[in-house]
Amino acid sequence: MSKVILNNLNKIFEIKAGTDVKAVNNFNLNLEEGEILALLGSSGCGKTTTLRMIAGFETITSGEIKISGKLVNDLKPAERNVAMAFEGYALYPPLTVRDNIAFSLMKEKISKNEVDSKVKEVSELLEITDILERYPPSISGGQQQRVSLARALVRDSDALLLDEPMSQLEPQLRAVLRARVKDYIQHNNKTVIFVTHDQTEAVALADKIAVMEEGDLKQLASPYDISSKPSNVFVASFIGEPPMNILKAKVLKTETHLTFEILNDKDEKNFSIKYSNNELNKENLNKIANEQIITLGIRPHKINFNKETTNLEGKAESSTYHWLGDQVHIGIEIGGSSIISVADRNFQPSSDIKMHFPSESINAFNRDSEEVIFNGI
Amino acid sequence: MSYIKLESISKSFKDDKVIQGLNAEINKGEFFVIFGPSGSGKTVLLRLLSGILLPDSGEIKMENAVINDLHPEERDVSMAFQNFALYPHMKAYENIASPLKANNISQDEIDSKVKEIANLLKIDHVLNQYPKELSNGQKQRTSLARSLVNRPSVVLLDDPLRNVDAKIRFEMRLELPKVLKEFNTTVIYISQDYREAMALADRIAVLYDGKFNDIDLPKNIYEKPSSLTTAKLFGDPTINNFNAVISKNENRVIAECNGEKIILQRKTSIENGECIVGIRPEDINLSNQQTEESLKVEFRTKTPLNLRIVFLVKLSNGLELLCSMSEEEAKNIKEKEQLYVSFKEDKCLFFDAITKRNLE
Repeated sequence: MSKVILNNLNKIFEIKAGTDVKAVNNFNLNLEEGEILALLGSSGCGKTTTLRMIAGFETITSGEIKISGKLVNDLKPAERNVAMAFEGYALYPPLTVRDNIAFSLMKEKISKNEVDSKVKEVSELLEITDILERYPPSISGGQQQRVSLARALVRDSDALLLDEPMSQLEPQLRAVLRARVKDYIQHNNKTVIFVTHDQTEAVALADKIAVMEEGDLKQLASPYDISSKPSNVFVASFIGEPPMNILKAKVLKTETHLTFEILNDKDEKNFSIKYSNNELNKENLNKIANEQIITLGIRPHKINFNKETTNLEGKAESSTYHWLGDQVHIGIEIGGSSIISVADRNFQPSSDIKMHFPSESINAFNRDSEEVIFNGI
Repeated sequence: MSYIKLESISKSFKDDKVIQGLNAEINKGEFFVIFGPSGSGKTVLLRLLSGILLPDSGEIKMENAVINDLHPEERDVSMAFQNFALYPHMKAYENIASPLKANNISQDEIDSKVKEIANLLKIDHVLNQYPKELSNGQKQRTSLARSLVNRPSVVLLDDPLRNVDAKIRFEMRLELPKVLKEFNTTVIYISQDYREAMALADRIAVLYDGKFNDIDLPKNIYEKPSSLTTAKLFGDPTINNFNAVISKNENRVIAECNGEKIILQRKTSIENGECIVGIRPEDINLSNQQTEESLKVEFRTKTPLNLRIVFLVKLSNGLELLCSMSEEEAKNIKEKEQLYVSFKEDKCLFFDAITKRNLE
C-alpha cells in the first residue's frame, strides 16, 4: 500500500518581487509501506525543503501530499501523525534522556512496562543506555543526535521523517549503528524518509534514493540501480567512492567492431577501447552513431585485471598503488588519461598492466544533454 | 637520516594537557601523516612545528639544530590550510607569488617559479582569476601552489582535502605525492580520514589524547596496531571486538565468549585467560556452508558500503558481528537460509582486557 504520495509538489520562494527561486520543482513520489527513502543531494538542492513540506513545517506552493491515503496539505505538523528527528528540533532540556524518549510514547496509551521495554530496546540499539538519566545539555552532539533518533524511532507513526540523522555520529560507530537502525526499521515495518548529503549513508540505508539537484529530481531508483544504471552524468559522478571515471569518447563503428577513442581536452586521442560487435547488445549499439562524441563512464571496481587479454589500445602504467586494508586503489596512466581503479586487497599490479573494460559496465551519456544513452552495452 | 626530530614535546593550555611528551623522527623527503580524531591535538602540534605556538617543554630539531625559538618566518617551513586562506583581492597568480615578493627575487624568476608550480598542479589556465571565480578544487590547488612555490624544505598541510568534493579529493590523492616527491619536500600532513592517511603516507603517526599511539607504515598500523584504540581508528566498518577467554590446545586457539566457543585457526604466544579478540569485517567468512570451525548465525540486515556489502549477523549468544565482502561474493550468500561464520586463517588480534594493548 502506498504510504506517502507526492503529486507535482512545488515550492517557490519569492526572494523579492519578481525574483523567484524554485526550491522544489514538480516532485513526484510514491513510497510503499515499509520502504526507506533517501533524499540525497548537496546543500541547496531542495532535499530539506521537500522533507519540511512533508512534515508540515513549510507551506507548499502547489501539488499534493498524501500520507496513508489522506490529503495532509492543510494539516498542522502535529496532526499528520509523523515522527520526526530534525536538526534543531531540539530535545527537551528539563527532561532526562530517558524521559525525552518516553515522552513521545505518552500519547500511545500503553502500559508503563511497555514504555520501559521500548525505551530499553532502542537505547541499547543506539548505545545510549549509560546516559539515560542525564540531561541533554550535558551530553555530546553525537549523543544528542542518537537520543533524537531514538525518540523518533520508538513512536508509532505513519511515517518517520529524519533530517541528516547520523551526520554527527562518531566515525567508529557509524557502520554498526546504520546496520542496527536499518534492521530495526525493517523488522518494525516502518516507512522512512531521510535527508542526507552523504551518498555512503544513502546507499547503506535506503531502499530507494532520490538524487536531487537545484530543485529537480535527477533520478529515483534503488541504490543498486543508482550505482549501476545512472540516468545522467550528475548522478553517475555523485555516487561512489572513488567516483566513476568520466571520459570523453569518439565512437567508431565498423561492420565487425565498435571502438571508443578516448580524447583529451584538445581532442587528441589518448587510448581506445575495442569490442567485437557480436558480444554487444544490438539495440544499444544502434543508439550511437559513427563518429559521435559521447561521455563515457566506467566505475573503478568494474575494471577487470584478471583477464589474460586487454581490450584497450595504449600503453598503461600504474602510477599509484594505495593499499587501504580491505581494498586497493590503483591510479593508472594511459595515453595521457588518468584512471582510478579498485581491486581486491591482495592484488599487485605488474609493470605491464593488463586491463579489461567489460562491455556491460560501459555507461554512455549524451555529450550535450548529459542524459544516459545506455548503461552497459 | 632523520631530518626533523621531536623530543618530548609538551604543550598545555591551563590545565588542558593537549600535547604530552611527543617523540618522533621524520626523514628528509618523507610524506609523514599525523592522523587522529578531532580533538586529539593535531592542529596544535602543527602550530608548534610552524612556530606559531611555542612548546612548554621539549625540543624541535631540524638537521640537528634546535629551532624552538625561531620565528615562523625564520623556519624553512610553509603551510597550507583546509579553508584555503587565499587573499581575496589578489588573482591566483599573485596569491601564488606572494611568498616570493618578500625575498628580493627578480620578476623573471618569480614568473618562472609561479608558472612551473602552476603547471605541475594544473592551474596554469586560471592564474588570471580571482579566488571567488575559482572552484573549490582550484582554490585548494592555488593554496598548495603558494605553499610550494618557494621550494620549502618542509611543508605543513592541515587537512587540505577536507573541504573539496570526492572527485577532486581522489584526483589529488593520485597527484599530490608525485608533485611533492618531485620537489623532494618533507611533508607533514594532517588528516582525520584514515583512508587518506593510508593512501598518502610513507609513515603514519597516530595521535590520540596528545600522545603518539603508533608511528609506522600504513600496512603495519592496519595489520598490527599497538592497541585496540588504534585498531578502531583504522577500518570501515570498525573492527569487531569482544571479550573472550582464551584457551589453547595443539594447533588451535579457542575463544570462549558468553558460552559460545569460537575456533581460531592461528598460532599465538599469548597466555590462556581473558582478553579482547578483534576481527576485521573483511576477515570473517560468511557462508551457507557449514564447516568444522564455523558457527551458526542469524542474519539481521545488509548495508552496501564503499562498493562492498556489509552484513550484520548475530551469534546465538547475542554477539553482533559485521562481515564485509565484495559485491560479487555477496551474490553467493542466501540470507533466507542458515548462515555460518568462521574467522579467516591467521587473522584476528588479541588485546589486553584492561590496558587494551596488543598482546602480540
